[in-house]
Amino acid sequence: METFLLKRIIAGTKLAFGLHRPGRNLVVLPDDVFIVSYPKSGNTWTRFLIGNLIHPQSPVDFSNINLIIPDPEGLSKRQLARMPRPRYIKSHQYFDPRYPKIIYVVRDPRDVALSQYHFHRKRKLLQDGASVEQFVSRFVAGKTSPYASWGENVASWMATRSDRPGFLLLRYEDMVVNTTRELAEVAHFLGIQASKERLAQAVARSSAHEMRKLEEKQALLWSSTKETRQDVPFVRAAKPGGWKTELPEISVREIEGAWAGLMKSLGYQLCFDEEHARARYEESDAKLGRVLR
Amino acid sequence: MIYGSKRIFRYLLGTDIAGRSLAVYQDDTFIVSYPRSGNTWTRFLVANLLHPEEPTSFANIERLVPDSEAQSSRYLRRIPRPRVIKSHQYFDPRYKRVIYVVRDPRDVALSYYDFERKYRHIDDAYPLQNYASDFVSGRLSSADWGTWGENVGSWVSTRRGQKDFLLLRYEDMLENTMLEVAKIAAFFGMEATAERVRGAVERSSVQRMRGLEKLQGKDWVSTKNKRPDIPFVRTAASGHWISKLPKNSIAEIESAWGPLMAALGYELVTTQPGCGEPLQMLSSSVRSTLSRERI
Repeated sequence: METFLLKRIIAGTKLAFGLHRPGRNLVVLPDDVFIVSYPKSGNTWTRFLIGNLIHPQSPVDFSNINLIIPDPEGLSKRQLARMPRPRYIKSHQYFDPRYPKIIYVVRDPRDVALSQYHFHRKRKLLQDGASVEQFVSRFVAGKTSPYASWGENVASWMATRSDRPGFLLLRYEDMVVNTTRELAEVAHFLGIQASKERLAQAVARSSAHEMRKLEEKQALLWSSTKETRQDVPFVRAAKPGGWKTELPEISVREIEGAWAGLMKSLGYQLCFDEEHARARYEESDAKLGRVLR
Repeated sequence: MIYGSKRIFRYLLGTDIAGRSLAVYQDDTFIVSYPRSGNTWTRFLVANLLHPEEPTSFANIERLVPDSEAQSSRYLRRIPRPRVIKSHQYFDPRYKRVIYVVRDPRDVALSYYDFERKYRHIDDAYPLQNYASDFVSGRLSSADWGTWGENVGSWVSTRRGQKDFLLLRYEDMLENTMLEVAKIAAFFGMEATAERVRGAVERSSVQRMRGLEKLQGKDWVSTKNKRPDIPFVRTAASGHWISKLPKNSIAEIESAWGPLMAALGYELVTTQPGCGEPLQMLSSSVRSTLSRERI
Protein backbone atom coordinates (compact mmCIF):
# COMPACT_ATOMS: atom_id res chain seq x y z
CA MET A 1 0.00 0.00 0.00
CA GLU A 2 2.76 2.46 0.96
CA THR A 3 4.75 1.92 -2.22
CA PHE A 4 1.54 2.25 -4.25
CA LEU A 5 0.83 5.60 -2.59
CA LEU A 6 4.44 6.80 -2.86
CA LYS A 7 4.62 5.94 -6.55
CA ARG A 8 1.35 7.76 -7.11
CA ILE A 9 2.58 10.82 -5.22
CA ILE A 10 5.73 11.07 -7.35
CA ALA A 11 3.84 10.46 -10.58
CA GLY A 12 1.03 12.75 -9.44
CA THR A 13 3.43 15.63 -8.76
CA LYS A 14 4.89 15.26 -12.25
CA LEU A 15 1.36 15.15 -13.64
CA ALA A 16 0.44 18.32 -11.75
CA PHE A 17 3.24 20.31 -13.34
CA GLY A 18 3.07 18.70 -16.77
CA LEU A 19 6.60 17.33 -16.39
CA HIS A 20 5.74 13.73 -17.28
CA ARG A 21 6.34 12.34 -20.73
CA PRO A 22 2.82 11.77 -21.99
CA GLY A 23 3.49 8.93 -24.47
CA ARG A 24 0.14 7.41 -25.30
CA ASN A 25 -1.68 9.92 -23.08
CA LEU A 26 -0.63 12.83 -25.27
CA VAL A 27 -3.28 15.53 -25.62
CA VAL A 28 -4.12 15.34 -29.34
CA LEU A 29 -5.01 18.54 -31.20
CA PRO A 30 -7.26 18.57 -34.27
CA ASP A 31 -4.51 19.79 -36.63
CA ASP A 32 -1.81 17.35 -35.46
CA VAL A 33 -0.04 15.18 -38.01
CA PHE A 34 1.41 11.89 -36.80
CA ILE A 35 4.32 9.98 -38.28
CA VAL A 36 3.55 6.48 -37.08
CA SER A 37 5.40 3.21 -37.52
CA TYR A 38 6.42 0.14 -35.61
CA PRO A 39 9.90 0.68 -34.11
CA LYS A 40 12.84 0.09 -36.50
CA SER A 41 10.76 0.70 -39.60
CA GLY A 42 12.32 3.90 -40.89
CA ASN A 43 10.56 6.34 -38.56
CA THR A 44 13.65 8.45 -37.85
CA TRP A 45 14.51 8.67 -41.53
CA THR A 46 10.92 9.75 -42.26
CA ARG A 47 11.17 12.37 -39.52
CA PHE A 48 14.35 13.73 -41.12
CA LEU A 49 12.76 13.75 -44.58
CA ILE A 50 9.63 15.56 -43.40
CA GLY A 51 11.56 17.90 -41.10
CA ASN A 52 13.86 18.86 -43.97
CA LEU A 53 10.86 19.25 -46.27
CA ILE A 54 9.03 21.58 -43.89
CA HIS A 55 12.10 23.60 -42.87
CA PRO A 56 14.27 24.01 -45.97
CA GLN A 57 16.11 26.93 -44.35
CA SER A 58 17.68 24.92 -41.49
CA PRO A 59 18.88 21.31 -41.84
CA VAL A 60 17.52 18.75 -39.39
CA ASP A 61 20.00 17.00 -37.12
CA PHE A 62 19.87 14.89 -33.97
CA SER A 63 20.04 17.96 -31.72
CA ASN A 64 16.96 19.67 -33.16
CA ILE A 65 14.83 16.75 -34.41
CA ASN A 66 12.85 16.58 -31.15
CA LEU A 67 11.90 20.25 -31.52
CA ILE A 68 10.88 19.89 -35.16
CA ILE A 69 9.16 16.49 -35.04
CA PRO A 70 8.69 15.83 -31.31
CA ASP A 71 8.54 12.42 -29.68
CA PRO A 72 5.85 12.20 -26.92
CA GLU A 73 8.03 9.55 -25.24
CA GLY A 74 10.96 11.97 -25.12
CA LEU A 75 9.44 15.38 -24.28
CA SER A 76 7.28 16.54 -21.37
CA LYS A 77 3.58 17.28 -21.64
CA ARG A 78 4.38 20.95 -21.05
CA GLN A 79 6.95 21.13 -23.85
CA LEU A 80 4.56 19.39 -26.23
CA ALA A 81 1.74 21.79 -25.35
CA ARG A 82 3.99 24.75 -26.26
CA MET A 83 4.98 23.51 -29.72
CA PRO A 84 4.06 25.70 -32.69
CA ARG A 85 1.08 24.37 -34.63
CA PRO A 86 0.39 22.41 -36.70
CA ARG A 87 2.52 19.90 -34.81
CA TYR A 88 4.22 17.02 -36.62
CA ILE A 89 4.56 14.26 -34.05
CA LYS A 90 6.48 10.99 -34.06
CA SER A 91 4.71 7.91 -32.71
CA HIS A 92 5.09 4.13 -32.50
CA GLN A 93 1.62 3.61 -31.07
CA TYR A 94 -0.77 0.97 -32.28
CA PHE A 95 -4.23 2.25 -33.25
CA ASP A 96 -5.36 5.40 -31.49
CA PRO A 97 -8.71 6.76 -32.68
CA ARG A 98 -7.78 10.32 -31.71
CA TYR A 99 -5.00 10.70 -34.29
CA PRO A 100 -6.54 12.89 -37.02
CA LYS A 101 -3.88 12.71 -39.74
CA ILE A 102 -1.45 9.86 -40.10
CA ILE A 103 1.57 8.97 -42.21
CA TYR A 104 2.11 5.28 -41.51
CA VAL A 105 5.44 3.72 -42.47
CA VAL A 106 5.49 -0.06 -42.77
CA ARG A 107 8.55 -2.26 -43.29
CA ASP A 108 9.07 -5.95 -44.00
CA PRO A 109 8.86 -7.58 -40.53
CA ARG A 110 11.79 -9.87 -41.36
CA ASP A 111 14.01 -6.78 -41.64
CA VAL A 112 12.33 -5.14 -38.66
CA ALA A 113 13.15 -8.17 -36.49
CA LEU A 114 16.80 -8.03 -37.52
CA SER A 115 17.04 -4.32 -36.97
CA GLN A 116 15.43 -4.57 -33.55
CA TYR A 117 17.85 -7.35 -32.62
CA HIS A 118 20.77 -5.01 -33.29
CA PHE A 119 19.01 -2.09 -31.61
CA HIS A 120 18.53 -4.19 -28.48
CA ARG A 121 22.26 -4.95 -28.53
CA LYS A 122 22.87 -1.21 -28.75
CA ARG A 123 20.57 -0.61 -25.79
CA LYS A 124 22.32 -3.41 -23.83
CA LEU A 125 19.10 -5.40 -23.63
CA LEU A 126 20.85 -8.21 -25.53
CA GLN A 127 24.46 -9.36 -25.39
CA ASP A 128 26.57 -9.73 -28.51
CA GLY A 129 26.06 -13.21 -29.89
CA ALA A 130 22.62 -13.62 -28.26
CA SER A 131 20.44 -16.12 -30.09
CA VAL A 132 18.60 -14.56 -33.04
CA GLU A 133 16.13 -17.46 -33.06
CA GLN A 134 15.11 -16.83 -29.48
CA PHE A 135 14.86 -13.11 -30.09
CA VAL A 136 12.60 -13.63 -33.12
CA SER A 137 10.27 -15.88 -31.11
CA ARG A 138 9.87 -13.13 -28.56
CA PHE A 139 9.51 -10.58 -31.37
CA VAL A 140 6.67 -12.56 -32.93
CA ALA A 141 4.96 -12.86 -29.55
CA GLY A 142 5.13 -9.07 -29.15
CA LYS A 143 7.42 -9.35 -26.11
CA THR A 144 10.24 -7.17 -27.40
CA SER A 145 8.28 -3.93 -27.62
CA PRO A 146 5.67 -2.00 -25.63
CA TYR A 147 3.92 -1.14 -28.91
CA ALA A 148 2.31 -4.59 -29.39
CA SER A 149 3.61 -7.09 -31.95
CA TRP A 150 4.50 -5.98 -35.48
CA GLY A 151 1.37 -7.67 -36.82
CA GLU A 152 -0.90 -6.16 -34.18
CA ASN A 153 0.50 -2.68 -34.68
CA VAL A 154 0.27 -2.73 -38.48
CA ALA A 155 -3.10 -4.49 -38.65
CA SER A 156 -4.67 -2.22 -36.04
CA TRP A 157 -4.00 0.79 -38.28
CA MET A 158 -4.67 -0.86 -41.63
CA ALA A 159 -8.02 -2.32 -40.54
CA THR A 160 -9.25 0.96 -39.13
CA ARG A 161 -7.78 3.70 -41.31
CA SER A 162 -6.57 2.41 -44.65
CA ASP A 163 -8.49 3.98 -47.54
CA ARG A 164 -9.86 6.71 -45.29
CA PRO A 165 -9.04 10.38 -45.69
CA GLY A 166 -6.16 11.48 -43.49
CA PHE A 167 -4.16 8.26 -43.83
CA LEU A 168 -1.08 7.85 -46.00
CA LEU A 169 0.64 4.49 -46.14
CA LEU A 170 4.33 4.38 -47.05
CA ARG A 171 6.41 1.26 -47.48
CA TYR A 172 9.98 1.64 -46.30
CA GLU A 173 11.11 -0.44 -49.27
CA ASP A 174 9.46 1.97 -51.75
CA MET A 175 11.04 4.90 -49.92
CA VAL A 176 14.48 3.36 -50.40
CA VAL A 177 13.92 2.65 -54.10
CA ASN A 178 12.47 6.06 -54.98
CA THR A 179 12.80 8.47 -52.10
CA THR A 180 11.88 11.59 -54.04
CA ARG A 181 8.68 10.10 -55.39
CA GLU A 182 7.52 8.97 -51.95
CA LEU A 183 8.41 12.32 -50.40
CA ALA A 184 6.43 14.07 -53.15
CA GLU A 185 3.51 11.90 -52.07
CA VAL A 186 4.02 13.09 -48.49
CA ALA A 187 4.19 16.74 -49.61
CA HIS A 188 0.94 16.31 -51.51
CA PHE A 189 -0.66 14.66 -48.45
CA LEU A 190 0.43 17.57 -46.24
CA GLY A 191 -0.69 20.18 -48.76
CA ILE A 192 2.85 21.49 -49.25
CA GLN A 193 3.73 22.87 -52.67
CA ALA A 194 7.26 21.55 -53.00
CA SER A 195 9.47 22.21 -56.00
CA LYS A 196 11.76 19.49 -57.39
CA GLU A 197 14.72 21.32 -55.87
CA ARG A 198 13.14 21.48 -52.44
CA LEU A 199 12.33 17.76 -52.54
CA ALA A 200 15.82 16.89 -53.75
CA GLN A 201 17.39 18.99 -51.01
CA ALA A 202 15.30 17.29 -48.30
CA VAL A 203 16.24 13.87 -49.67
CA ALA A 204 19.95 14.75 -49.83
CA ARG A 205 19.97 16.18 -46.31
CA SER A 206 18.32 13.01 -44.98
CA SER A 207 20.50 10.44 -46.77
CA ALA A 208 21.92 7.53 -44.78
CA HIS A 209 25.37 9.00 -45.43
CA GLU A 210 24.39 12.38 -43.94
CA MET A 211 22.56 10.79 -41.03
CA ARG A 212 25.57 8.58 -40.22
CA LYS A 213 27.84 11.61 -40.21
CA LEU A 214 25.43 13.42 -37.86
CA GLU A 215 25.14 10.40 -35.60
CA GLU A 216 28.93 10.24 -35.23
CA LYS A 217 28.97 13.83 -34.00
CA GLN A 218 25.70 14.00 -32.06
CA ALA A 219 24.86 10.55 -30.68
CA LEU A 220 25.42 11.80 -27.13
CA LEU A 221 23.06 14.74 -27.63
CA TRP A 222 20.02 12.73 -28.71
CA SER A 223 17.68 11.15 -26.15
CA SER A 224 17.30 7.93 -28.17
CA THR A 225 21.05 7.21 -28.39
CA LYS A 226 22.82 8.98 -25.56
CA GLU A 227 22.69 6.19 -22.99
CA THR A 228 23.35 3.36 -25.43
CA ARG A 229 26.44 1.54 -26.72
CA GLN A 230 28.34 3.90 -28.97
CA ASP A 231 30.02 1.08 -30.92
CA VAL A 232 26.70 -0.13 -32.37
CA PRO A 233 25.22 2.44 -34.81
CA PHE A 234 21.61 3.68 -34.65
CA VAL A 235 21.55 4.43 -38.37
CA ARG A 236 22.14 0.91 -39.56
CA ALA A 237 22.05 -0.75 -42.97
CA ALA A 238 19.32 1.58 -44.39
CA LYS A 239 18.49 -1.00 -47.03
CA PRO A 240 15.90 -3.73 -47.41
CA GLY A 241 16.47 -7.47 -47.62
CA GLY A 242 19.20 -7.96 -45.03
CA TRP A 243 17.10 -10.76 -43.55
CA LYS A 244 17.78 -12.93 -46.62
CA THR A 245 21.36 -13.48 -45.54
CA GLU A 246 21.26 -12.73 -41.82
CA LEU A 247 18.04 -14.27 -40.53
CA PRO A 248 18.00 -18.05 -39.87
CA GLU A 249 15.48 -20.01 -41.93
CA ILE A 250 13.57 -21.08 -38.84
CA SER A 251 13.04 -17.42 -37.89
CA VAL A 252 11.88 -16.50 -41.39
CA ARG A 253 9.38 -19.36 -41.17
CA GLU A 254 8.19 -18.22 -37.77
CA ILE A 255 7.57 -14.64 -38.92
CA GLU A 256 5.87 -15.70 -42.13
CA GLY A 257 3.77 -18.23 -40.23
CA ALA A 258 2.54 -15.58 -37.83
CA TRP A 259 1.63 -12.85 -40.31
CA ALA A 260 1.35 -14.47 -43.76
CA GLY A 261 -1.91 -12.83 -44.79
CA LEU A 262 -0.95 -9.37 -43.60
CA MET A 263 2.52 -9.56 -45.18
CA LYS A 264 1.11 -10.66 -48.52
CA SER A 265 -1.51 -7.92 -48.46
CA LEU A 266 1.34 -5.43 -48.01
CA GLY A 267 3.23 -6.86 -50.97
CA TYR A 268 5.91 -8.75 -49.01
CA GLN A 269 6.62 -12.02 -50.78
CA LEU A 270 6.83 -15.10 -48.63
CA CYS A 271 9.51 -17.80 -48.91
CA PHE A 272 7.47 -20.57 -47.34
CA ASP A 273 4.05 -19.60 -48.51
CA GLU A 274 2.88 -23.01 -49.70
CA GLU A 275 4.13 -24.83 -46.65
CA HIS A 276 3.27 -24.45 -43.02
CA ALA A 277 2.75 -20.70 -43.16
CA ARG A 278 -0.24 -21.09 -45.39
CA ALA A 279 -1.57 -24.06 -43.47
CA ARG A 280 -1.47 -22.17 -40.22
CA TYR A 281 -3.12 -19.14 -41.70
CA GLU A 282 -5.91 -21.16 -43.22
CA GLU A 283 -6.42 -22.99 -39.99
CA SER A 284 -7.00 -19.68 -38.22
CA ASP A 285 -9.23 -18.53 -41.05
CA ALA A 286 -11.28 -21.68 -40.85
CA LYS A 287 -11.71 -21.10 -37.16
CA LEU A 288 -13.03 -17.61 -37.87
CA GLY A 289 -15.21 -19.08 -40.59
CA ARG A 290 -16.71 -21.51 -38.12
CA VAL A 291 -17.53 -18.75 -35.71
CA LEU A 292 -18.97 -16.61 -38.46
CA ARG A 293 -20.51 -19.50 -40.44
CA MET B 1 0.62 25.74 -13.86
CA ILE B 2 -1.53 23.00 -12.32
CA TYR B 3 -3.30 20.66 -14.69
CA GLY B 4 -6.69 19.35 -13.50
CA SER B 5 -6.10 19.29 -9.75
CA LYS B 6 -9.26 17.25 -9.08
CA ARG B 7 -8.12 14.57 -11.48
CA ILE B 8 -4.65 14.50 -9.93
CA PHE B 9 -6.06 14.26 -6.41
CA ARG B 10 -8.13 11.28 -7.52
CA TYR B 11 -5.05 9.76 -9.14
CA LEU B 12 -3.09 10.11 -5.89
CA LEU B 13 -5.78 8.30 -3.94
CA GLY B 14 -6.31 5.70 -6.64
CA THR B 15 -9.95 6.68 -6.96
CA ASP B 16 -9.57 7.66 -10.63
CA ILE B 17 -11.64 5.62 -13.09
CA ALA B 18 -9.32 2.89 -14.39
CA GLY B 19 -10.38 3.01 -18.05
CA ARG B 20 -7.48 2.59 -20.45
CA SER B 21 -4.88 3.02 -17.74
CA LEU B 22 -6.11 -0.07 -15.89
CA ALA B 23 -3.24 -2.16 -14.51
CA VAL B 24 -3.62 -5.44 -16.41
CA TYR B 25 -2.61 -8.88 -15.07
CA GLN B 26 -1.58 -11.82 -17.23
CA ASP B 27 -4.48 -13.95 -15.95
CA ASP B 28 -7.21 -11.35 -16.57
CA THR B 29 -10.01 -12.21 -18.97
CA PHE B 30 -11.74 -9.31 -20.69
CA ILE B 31 -15.27 -9.14 -21.99
CA VAL B 32 -14.90 -6.55 -24.71
CA SER B 33 -17.43 -5.11 -27.11
CA TYR B 34 -18.52 -1.86 -28.62
CA PRO B 35 -21.20 -0.25 -26.41
CA ARG B 36 -24.76 -1.50 -26.98
CA SER B 37 -23.60 -4.84 -28.35
CA GLY B 38 -24.71 -7.22 -25.61
CA ASN B 39 -21.85 -6.67 -23.17
CA THR B 40 -24.02 -6.51 -20.06
CA TRP B 41 -25.87 -9.67 -21.07
CA THR B 42 -22.53 -11.40 -21.64
CA ARG B 43 -21.33 -10.23 -18.22
CA PHE B 44 -24.43 -11.77 -16.64
CA LEU B 45 -23.97 -15.00 -18.59
CA VAL B 46 -20.29 -15.28 -17.59
CA ALA B 47 -20.92 -14.34 -13.95
CA ASN B 48 -23.81 -16.78 -13.65
CA LEU B 49 -21.71 -19.49 -15.30
CA LEU B 50 -18.68 -18.95 -13.05
CA HIS B 51 -20.68 -18.34 -9.84
CA PRO B 52 -23.70 -20.66 -9.88
CA GLU B 53 -24.04 -20.27 -6.11
CA GLU B 54 -24.74 -16.55 -6.32
CA PRO B 55 -27.35 -15.35 -8.86
CA THR B 56 -26.00 -12.32 -10.71
CA SER B 57 -27.78 -9.00 -10.36
CA PHE B 58 -27.02 -5.32 -10.88
CA ALA B 59 -26.11 -5.25 -7.17
CA ASN B 60 -23.22 -7.74 -7.45
CA ILE B 61 -22.17 -7.55 -11.12
CA GLU B 62 -19.54 -4.89 -10.35
CA ARG B 63 -17.89 -7.35 -7.99
CA LEU B 64 -18.26 -10.47 -10.17
CA VAL B 65 -17.39 -8.91 -13.54
CA PRO B 66 -16.35 -5.32 -12.77
CA ASP B 67 -16.56 -2.52 -15.31
CA SER B 68 -13.11 -1.04 -15.98
CA GLU B 69 -14.73 2.13 -17.28
CA ALA B 70 -16.90 2.71 -14.20
CA GLN B 71 -14.69 1.50 -11.33
CA SER B 72 -11.55 3.00 -9.83
CA SER B 73 -7.98 1.73 -10.16
CA ARG B 74 -7.98 0.91 -6.45
CA TYR B 75 -11.27 -0.99 -6.58
CA LEU B 76 -10.09 -3.09 -9.51
CA ARG B 77 -6.76 -3.82 -7.83
CA ARG B 78 -8.68 -5.42 -4.95
CA ILE B 79 -10.78 -7.77 -7.06
CA PRO B 80 -9.62 -11.37 -6.42
CA ARG B 81 -7.68 -12.96 -9.29
CA PRO B 82 -8.18 -14.29 -11.87
CA ARG B 83 -10.39 -11.33 -12.72
CA VAL B 84 -13.01 -11.13 -15.44
CA ILE B 85 -13.32 -7.50 -16.51
CA LYS B 86 -15.74 -5.65 -18.73
CA SER B 87 -14.33 -3.20 -21.28
CA HIS B 88 -15.36 -1.21 -24.34
CA GLN B 89 -11.79 -0.37 -25.35
CA TYR B 90 -10.52 -0.63 -28.89
CA PHE B 91 -7.44 -2.81 -29.31
CA ASP B 92 -5.19 -2.94 -26.27
CA PRO B 93 -2.23 -5.32 -26.65
CA ARG B 94 -2.04 -5.82 -22.89
CA TYR B 95 -5.34 -7.69 -22.86
CA LYS B 96 -4.20 -11.30 -23.24
CA ARG B 97 -7.51 -13.18 -22.97
CA VAL B 98 -10.45 -11.59 -24.72
CA ILE B 99 -14.06 -12.52 -25.35
CA TYR B 100 -15.15 -10.07 -28.04
CA VAL B 101 -18.86 -9.62 -28.67
CA VAL B 102 -19.83 -8.08 -32.00
CA ARG B 103 -23.29 -6.96 -33.10
CA ASP B 104 -24.74 -5.72 -36.37
CA PRO B 105 -23.85 -1.98 -36.38
CA ARG B 106 -27.27 -1.11 -37.79
CA ASP B 107 -28.85 -2.47 -34.58
CA VAL B 108 -26.09 -0.94 -32.47
CA ALA B 109 -26.89 2.50 -33.90
CA LEU B 110 -30.56 2.10 -33.00
CA SER B 111 -29.77 0.98 -29.48
CA TYR B 112 -27.12 3.65 -28.97
CA TYR B 113 -29.65 6.33 -29.98
CA ASP B 114 -31.88 5.31 -27.06
CA PHE B 115 -28.86 5.11 -24.77
CA GLU B 116 -27.68 8.64 -25.67
CA ARG B 117 -31.22 9.88 -24.87
CA LYS B 118 -31.23 7.94 -21.59
CA TYR B 119 -27.91 9.60 -20.69
CA ARG B 120 -29.32 13.01 -21.72
CA HIS B 121 -26.58 13.50 -24.32
CA ILE B 122 -29.30 14.24 -26.89
CA ASP B 123 -32.96 15.06 -26.41
CA ASP B 124 -35.98 13.19 -27.73
CA ALA B 125 -36.44 15.59 -30.63
CA TYR B 126 -32.96 14.83 -32.03
CA PRO B 127 -33.52 13.05 -35.35
CA LEU B 128 -32.40 9.42 -35.57
CA GLN B 129 -30.87 10.14 -38.96
CA ASN B 130 -28.62 12.84 -37.45
CA TYR B 131 -27.64 10.46 -34.71
CA ALA B 132 -26.73 7.77 -37.26
CA SER B 133 -24.28 10.26 -38.84
CA ASP B 134 -22.80 10.98 -35.40
CA PHE B 135 -22.45 7.24 -34.89
CA VAL B 136 -20.63 6.72 -38.19
CA SER B 137 -18.31 9.70 -37.58
CA GLY B 138 -17.55 8.70 -34.00
CA ARG B 139 -19.13 11.73 -32.30
CA LEU B 140 -20.95 11.85 -28.92
CA SER B 141 -20.11 8.85 -26.69
CA SER B 142 -18.43 7.08 -29.61
CA ALA B 143 -15.51 9.50 -29.25
CA ASP B 144 -14.26 7.44 -26.30
CA TRP B 145 -14.28 4.06 -28.02
CA GLY B 146 -13.43 4.79 -31.65
CA THR B 147 -16.11 4.19 -34.24
CA TRP B 148 -17.84 0.80 -34.44
CA GLY B 149 -15.64 -0.09 -37.41
CA GLU B 150 -12.45 1.03 -35.66
CA ASN B 151 -13.26 -0.82 -32.46
CA VAL B 152 -14.29 -4.07 -34.15
CA GLY B 153 -11.63 -3.81 -36.89
CA SER B 154 -8.84 -3.17 -34.40
CA TRP B 155 -9.62 -6.37 -32.45
CA VAL B 156 -10.61 -8.70 -35.26
CA SER B 157 -7.62 -7.76 -37.42
CA THR B 158 -5.11 -8.25 -34.62
CA ARG B 159 -6.41 -11.26 -32.71
CA ARG B 160 -8.66 -13.36 -34.92
CA GLY B 161 -7.89 -17.04 -34.99
CA GLN B 162 -5.78 -16.94 -31.84
CA LYS B 163 -6.50 -19.30 -29.00
CA ASP B 164 -6.95 -16.57 -26.39
CA PHE B 165 -9.53 -14.71 -28.48
CA LEU B 166 -13.16 -15.78 -28.56
CA LEU B 167 -15.29 -13.94 -31.08
CA LEU B 168 -19.04 -14.10 -30.41
CA ARG B 169 -21.80 -12.58 -32.48
CA TYR B 170 -24.69 -11.15 -30.50
CA GLU B 171 -27.06 -12.53 -33.12
CA ASP B 172 -25.72 -16.08 -32.62
CA MET B 173 -26.04 -15.65 -28.88
CA LEU B 174 -29.72 -14.77 -29.30
CA GLU B 175 -30.37 -17.64 -31.66
CA ASN B 176 -28.63 -20.37 -29.72
CA THR B 177 -27.65 -19.05 -26.32
CA MET B 178 -26.78 -22.48 -24.89
CA LEU B 179 -24.25 -23.18 -27.65
CA GLU B 180 -22.53 -19.82 -27.34
CA VAL B 181 -22.37 -20.09 -23.55
CA ALA B 182 -20.87 -23.56 -23.96
CA LYS B 183 -18.13 -21.89 -26.06
CA ILE B 184 -17.57 -19.42 -23.23
CA ALA B 185 -17.32 -22.30 -20.74
CA ALA B 186 -14.75 -24.02 -22.96
CA PHE B 187 -12.83 -20.75 -23.23
CA PHE B 188 -12.59 -20.67 -19.43
CA GLY B 189 -11.46 -24.31 -19.48
CA MET B 190 -14.58 -25.42 -17.64
CA GLU B 191 -16.18 -28.83 -17.89
CA ALA B 192 -19.65 -27.33 -17.68
CA THR B 193 -22.65 -29.63 -17.58
CA ALA B 194 -25.75 -28.80 -19.63
CA GLU B 195 -27.53 -28.00 -16.36
CA ARG B 196 -24.93 -25.49 -15.35
CA VAL B 197 -25.04 -23.80 -18.77
CA ARG B 198 -28.84 -23.81 -18.75
CA GLY B 199 -28.91 -22.34 -15.25
CA ALA B 200 -26.61 -19.50 -16.35
CA VAL B 201 -28.75 -18.81 -19.41
CA GLU B 202 -31.97 -18.77 -17.36
CA ARG B 203 -30.57 -16.51 -14.67
CA SER B 204 -29.49 -14.10 -17.44
CA SER B 205 -32.79 -14.06 -19.32
CA VAL B 206 -34.08 -10.74 -20.60
CA GLN B 207 -37.17 -11.07 -18.37
CA ARG B 208 -35.05 -11.52 -15.27
CA MET B 209 -32.69 -8.69 -16.26
CA ARG B 210 -35.63 -6.34 -16.91
CA GLY B 211 -37.07 -7.18 -13.49
CA LEU B 212 -33.70 -6.56 -11.84
CA GLU B 213 -33.30 -3.25 -13.67
CA LYS B 214 -36.66 -2.07 -12.28
CA LEU B 215 -35.55 -2.91 -8.75
CA GLN B 216 -31.88 -1.94 -8.91
CA GLY B 217 -31.56 0.50 -11.83
CA LYS B 218 -31.52 3.56 -9.59
CA ASP B 219 -28.46 2.23 -7.72
CA TRP B 220 -26.38 0.60 -10.50
CA VAL B 221 -23.37 2.66 -11.55
CA SER B 222 -24.31 2.64 -15.25
CA THR B 223 -27.96 3.65 -14.81
CA LYS B 224 -27.91 5.78 -11.65
CA ASN B 225 -29.19 9.33 -12.25
CA LYS B 226 -30.04 8.54 -15.85
CA ARG B 227 -33.51 8.90 -17.35
CA PRO B 228 -35.62 6.13 -15.75
CA ASP B 229 -38.26 6.25 -18.52
CA ILE B 230 -35.85 4.75 -21.10
CA PRO B 231 -34.78 1.21 -20.16
CA PHE B 232 -31.13 0.07 -20.22
CA VAL B 233 -32.17 -3.52 -20.99
CA ARG B 234 -33.87 -2.82 -24.30
CA THR B 235 -35.42 -5.07 -26.93
CA ALA B 236 -32.78 -7.84 -26.71
CA ALA B 237 -33.55 -8.63 -30.33
CA SER B 238 -31.84 -8.37 -33.69
CA GLY B 239 -32.93 -6.92 -37.02
CA HIS B 240 -35.07 -4.04 -35.81
CA TRP B 241 -32.98 -1.74 -38.01
CA ILE B 242 -34.80 -3.14 -41.06
CA SER B 243 -38.01 -1.37 -40.05
CA LYS B 244 -36.73 1.38 -37.75
CA LEU B 245 -33.57 2.79 -39.32
CA PRO B 246 -33.96 5.35 -42.17
CA LYS B 247 -32.77 4.11 -45.58
CA ASN B 248 -30.14 6.85 -45.76
CA SER B 249 -28.73 5.81 -42.41
CA ILE B 250 -28.52 2.18 -43.47
CA ALA B 251 -26.65 3.28 -46.59
CA GLU B 252 -24.35 5.51 -44.55
CA ILE B 253 -23.41 2.70 -42.16
CA GLU B 254 -22.90 0.17 -44.95
CA SER B 255 -20.78 2.52 -46.98
CA ALA B 256 -18.56 3.22 -43.95
CA TRP B 257 -17.99 -0.39 -42.92
CA GLY B 258 -19.30 -2.63 -45.73
CA PRO B 259 -16.29 -4.93 -46.07
CA LEU B 260 -15.96 -5.46 -42.31
CA MET B 261 -19.69 -6.10 -41.94
CA ALA B 262 -19.64 -8.59 -44.78
CA ALA B 263 -16.63 -10.35 -43.26
CA LEU B 264 -18.59 -10.77 -40.05
CA GLY B 265 -21.57 -12.21 -41.88
CA TYR B 266 -23.84 -9.16 -41.79
CA GLU B 267 -25.60 -9.03 -45.11
CA LEU B 268 -25.55 -5.67 -46.84
CA VAL B 269 -28.73 -4.32 -48.38
CA THR B 270 -27.37 -1.31 -50.26
CA THR B 271 -25.24 -2.20 -53.26
CA GLN B 272 -21.77 -0.76 -53.18
CA PRO B 273 -18.36 -1.18 -54.67
CA GLY B 274 -15.52 -3.07 -53.08
CA CYS B 275 -17.33 -5.47 -50.74
CA GLY B 276 -15.86 -8.84 -50.23
CA GLU B 277 -13.05 -10.58 -48.46
CA PRO B 278 -11.79 -9.02 -45.24
CA LEU B 279 -8.26 -8.91 -46.57
CA GLN B 280 -9.24 -6.73 -49.51
CA MET B 281 -9.88 -4.13 -46.89
CA LEU B 282 -6.30 -4.47 -45.77
CA SER B 283 -4.78 -4.29 -49.19
CA SER B 284 -6.33 -1.38 -51.02
CA SER B 285 -4.04 1.25 -49.48
CA VAL B 286 -1.21 -0.99 -50.55
CA ARG B 287 -2.60 -1.11 -54.04
CA SER B 288 -2.39 2.67 -54.12
CA THR B 289 1.23 2.64 -52.93
CA LEU B 290 1.99 0.02 -55.57
CA SER B 291 0.26 2.05 -58.27
CA ARG B 292 2.63 4.92 -57.58
CA GLU B 293 5.39 2.78 -58.98
CA ARG B 294 3.91 3.08 -62.44
CA ILE B 295 3.98 6.88 -62.39
